[in-house]
This record gives sequence, structure tokens and C-alpha cells, in this order.
Amino acid sequence: MENTVVKIENLVKRYGELIALDHLSLEIKEGEIFGLLGPNGSGKTTTINCLLSLLAYDKGSIEIFGEKMSPVNYNVKQNIGIIMQNVAVFDELTVQENIDYFCGLYIHSKADRKQYVDEAIKFVGLEDFRKFYPKKLSGGLLRRLNIACGIAHKPKLIILDEPTVAVDPQSRNKILEGIQELNRQGTTVIYTTHYMEEVEQICTRIAIMDKGRKIAEGTKDELKRMIRNTETISIELLDLSDRVKDKFAALPHVCSCDYDGTKLIIGFSGGKHNLMRVTELLREEELHSGRIYSERPTLNDVFLEITGKALRDKED
Amino acid sequence: MQVFKVFMKVLKSRMSAAFLYILIFMIIAIPQAKSSTTEKKFERVPLKIAVFDEDNTPESRKLTEFIAKDNKLISMSNDREELIDALYWMRLDYALIINKGYSENLLSDGTNELFGSYHVHDSYSVSYMSTALDQYVSSVRAYSQSGEDLDSAIAHTEDALSQDTEVHVAEAGKNGVNGQSSTFRAYFNYFSYIIISVIIYTVCPIILTMTRKDIRYRTNCSSIHPNAYTIQLFAGSTVLVLGVWLILIVAGIFATGGFYSGKQWLAVLNSFIYTLVSTSIALLITSFDPSENILNLTAQILGLGMSFLCGVFVPLSMLSDSVASVSKFLPAYWYIRCNSMICGNEIYDSGRLASFMLIQMLFAVVCSVLTMLIRRIKFGTSSEVAA
Repeated sequence: MENTVVKIENLVKRYGELIALDHLSLEIKEGEIFGLLGPNGSGKTTTINCLLSLLAYDKGSIEIFGEKMSPVNYNVKQNIGIIMQNVAVFDELTVQENIDYFCGLYIHSKADRKQYVDEAIKFVGLEDFRKFYPKKLSGGLLRRLNIACGIAHKPKLIILDEPTVAVDPQSRNKILEGIQELNRQGTTVIYTTHYMEEVEQICTRIAIMDKGRKIAEGTKDELKRMIRNTETISIELLDLSDRVKDKFAALPHVCSCDYDGTKLIIGFSGGKHNLMRVTELLREEELHSGRIYSERPTLNDVFLEITGKALRDKED
Repeated sequence: MQVFKVFMKVLKSRMSAAFLYILIFMIIAIPQAKSSTTEKKFERVPLKIAVFDEDNTPESRKLTEFIAKDNKLISMSNDREELIDALYWMRLDYALIINKGYSENLLSDGTNELFGSYHVHDSYSVSYMSTALDQYVSSVRAYSQSGEDLDSAIAHTEDALSQDTEVHVAEAGKNGVNGQSSTFRAYFNYFSYIIISVIIYTVCPIILTMTRKDIRYRTNCSSIHPNAYTIQLFAGSTVLVLGVWLILIVAGIFATGGFYSGKQWLAVLNSFIYTLVSTSIALLITSFDPSENILNLTAQILGLGMSFLCGVFVPLSMLSDSVASVSKFLPAYWYIRCNSMICGNEIYDSGRLASFMLIQMLFAVVCSVLTMLIRRIKFGTSSEVAA
């Protein structure tokens, strides 16, 4: 049986009248990449801050590695690595000195530290930039340095708080690959983000948060099974009569059918060969369509169905 | 010692700027300290004098030569309008006319008939020339009445009036038992301005870098004990502050012209205490996380403001009572009072000196307590985590 790395029970955090965390309970097992997904203000960062004992909470309990977490539990802190959204490094130190400093906050043996720093530099691919100062690094390389500073001491649990905000797609992929590699090496990862694609890509288990509450938890497939809509077929159509639309709506397993003048969107709840039935009906009615595509539901659909709103704003 | 080492590395990257500040302040402060001395050299300022010798006798020519020794003779025509113009535009200080019959009347009573003049009324040149001519004529008459002939009387008069009187201005306590040189006093007074400015300019940016929000977040998450972190940060700050203090104290040896001795060591101790006060003020400033611009502004306001209000630039005795009563709430005031006592400007009283130093220490303690309170309010939530 897998060991529990993090256990949060009935956590409540209030800011005056505002309830930031509302009886939140989570259990994260060893070896997982656990995604905390939710829109801005849903309580993800508050959860992390409480987890790290950086923030006082009003009720509940937090255990990490089986020990009660507190600001003075340095044994537990020793095994935690934190990577934040902002690049937290010294501009006055080189890449190597920065990693050595942050590693030195955990590892006191100089020889061990040297080895750990070398391994961290190698892991993030900054071998050629050891003597560079942060100001000379590109945005992507800076992010890698930020990660190296958080993982150099070889923590058993790594917490990443929105590490890919404002990162270009190429660097984002590198970061995600790195996280998966760390996980393969045995590290448990807590990953907070509001980018559902990232969560789908790397997380083995996901908790969706909204307004300080956990509204769903499970693997991505388990989460998607929670909603009615299992497949969405979209057809580009310039003309569609109500009679034909009704025919589409009457197809087996159809749970929704909407037409906006240019596109027909049909939602299915279960069933097989849905796309085949749709194309047959198009042929029967001799309708000339543009693109036809089928989509599996996303975590956004899950969030949308549970909360009635999109996971993130369009500008995100 | 990771934090201490990084403090030193951050300091190293800012070392050049720190030295630049010290150098600039030294360049400004040392000459000002030296110029603030009250020792003055007195020298005769030659007047621009036009002499019109209407007598044209050997006696009148000797008088003209005598006047020319210490003054500059200006050659001009004896034209009233031109002379008045020259006096108005200060091309001329005095126009002397040696009247005809000068040599005949020289030994008679009175001088009115001997000379005529054009001059600016109530000017120092009139006073000077009137006195000089009176002295000259009186001396010649005195020597003549004692039995000398006219030539000999004139020669003796010229000899007597050519004697320069050496002027020394005695300064109370100068290098004496009770006081220090004015350069020493001025340097140690300016020290208060230099040290607070340099400390704010050097310590604050490093502390702000070390305690930057995201760096602090990462540090708080780590397994380093907060006390260990604070102690190392404190050690780094101490090394830097002591370094700056030592540089200024060593520079003081060269600036004041000799190694410290006797009561001068009390001034060194006083400067050390004021350095502690400055450091506590700098740490208090950092707890507000000021931007670089605000930091520079604060350094200027504190450095210059305290210097003006507390007697660094202007002696305390010249400040009004209302200003003095306000400045008592500033540490620089007590620092300057200590210096005044050590340097002999105030009556030395070891008890009062100690109490003034203790008042400075009190400022340091108050600033430190305020810093801790602010930091606790701003960042101290972690200790409140529910058990």
C-alpha cells in the first residue's frame, strides 16, 4: 500500500468574513503528481501556504510524512522543495552560487552540496551557464534556474505553485518534462495551476478547487466520468432548418444540440459510433458541411458542469 | 554560514558603490572640516590710492614713497569728475592731494592744511588713510620735538611705522588640556552625517536584497532556523558597519593630523555609539521595504536634516531655542553634544557625557524594538499556525 505523504483534514482558513479554505481535506500518496486545479482565488496558494506553515489557519490539521506540520518542524521542511511562480534568485550571484545558496539552507556538508548542485545543474541543463549571472539568462533559462534552486537538495516532496505562468510553450514543455522526470525518480509532486492542459498532461490525480472548497477529486478519467457529456461533435454548417436540427437532437445518446448559425454542436452522453451516426444523417439530408470534429470532454467541461462557469477567463 | 557568505557576496557586488559613497563623502567632508577652523591669517590689503603731490618737495616725495610701500599707487589726472567716477566704480579707494606748502607746515599744528582728498564717505579706506596720515605726521613732529632734524625724524617715523605687528588668534582650548583642535571637532561632527548616509546607502540595499519577498518566502520554507538566519544576517551587517566605521576612523587620523590620544578616544567611542544608532535606523528603514528612490530620499532627509537641525553644519549655539528643542528628539543632537564636551566647547562632565551616550543608545534600542515589531506584524504570521 502506498504511503500517505500529505494529509490535510478539514482545513479552514478565514480572512475576516471571507472563507479562503472551507473544510478542505486532501490525501496525497507517495509517488503521485497531484494537481491542484482551480481558477484564480480558488484557494490553491492559500492551501500551499498553510501546508508549508507560512500561514496560520483556523481549523483542521496538516500532516506531512506522517508528522504534524508546524513552522518548527525542520525534519519535515528538510524534505520539501518549493518552486514558485516568481523567479526567486539573487541577481548578485551566479547560477552555481544561487543553487549552492538555496541548497545550503538544507544541506550543510560542503562535499554533498557540491555534488547536489552539480546534479541539479545537469538536471535542468544549465551546465554551460554555471558562471552566468541571472540577468544574462533568458526567461526560459531563469525558470530552469528557479527549479534547480528548489530541487537541488533532493526533496521527497516538491511543491510547484503555478511555475509556468508567463512562460513560452517550449520552456513550459521542458518544465513539465522535468517534473515528470523527477516523479519517475520517486519524488512526490504537488502541482498547482489554472492551466487544465498541464494538469491533464502530467498529473496522476487531480483535485479541483473553487471558492476554497474541493469540488471534485480523482484521476482525469474519473473526473470526466463525473459529467453527463462524454463527447462533443461540432459541425460547420451554414444553413440548418429546425426540422433537420430536431433529427440530430433525436439521435441516440444526444444530451444537447445547439446551432448558432454557423456551427452545430451536439453533446453525447455515452454511446459508441456517435460520429458515424452524425455523418450518415448529414449524407441523408444532403447537407454540405465544413469541418467536422469530435472532442472528448476536458477538465474545463468538468469544472463548467460542476460550477456552471469556465475554469479560467478567456484572457488567461 | 550560508547566509553570511551570501551577504558578503552581495556586499562584494556593491562594494564599489559603497566605496564610491565613502569617497564622495570624504571629499566633501574633509575639506569642509578643515575649512571650518577658526584660525585665520591676517594680511594687509593694499588700497588703490592716487597721490597728487602739489608741494613736490623731498618731504612730500618721501611721504608718497611711504604710502606706496603698502598700497598701490594709481596714476590718474587730477580731474574732479574723473576721480569721482573712479571712486564710484571702485577703481580707486582714495585720492590724496599733498597740498602746496606741505614741507613748510609739516611741523606746525594740525593736518587739515597739509592734505586734501577725494574719498567715499564712511568707507574703511578713509579711516585707514586718516589714521595713517595722522600717525605719520604725529610721529614726525614727535621725533622733531625730541631734537632730531626733519630728515632724521621722517626716517625714524618710516622705520617705526613699518614695523608689522604679528597677530595670533588664540582659540579657547586649542590642542590644550581641555579641548581638541577645531579640525578634529569638525571632522567628528561631520562623521555623523557621513556614517548615517553611508550606512543607509550600503546596508539597506543589501538587507533589502536578502529579505526580498520571494527570497524570504523560499528561505521561510527551508529548514534553516529563523534565529540562525537572523544571526548570520546580523553578523554580515556588523562586519559591514564596523568596516565603514573603521575606514572613517582611520581616515580621521589623517584628516585631523595625528593618532588619537587622551580624550580623543572618547570621541571615537562616541562615533562608535552613533554608528550603532545609524545601523538601527537603517534596519528600521528596511522593515518598510522602501524602493531605491525612497531609500535615497530617506538618506538625504535623515543625513542632511539631522545635520542642519542638530548642529553639524551650524553650531548648536546659533540654533534657535525652538529648533534646539526639536533636535533633542534626534540622536545626532546628543552625538554633537558629546563631541562639544569632548572638544572643549562645553564644560566637560563625565557623568553628563555618559548620560548623553546612553541617550544615543536608547535611540538604538527604540529603533531596534520598532524594527522587530514591524517585522513581526508584517511577516510574523508563521508562528501563529494552529497546533
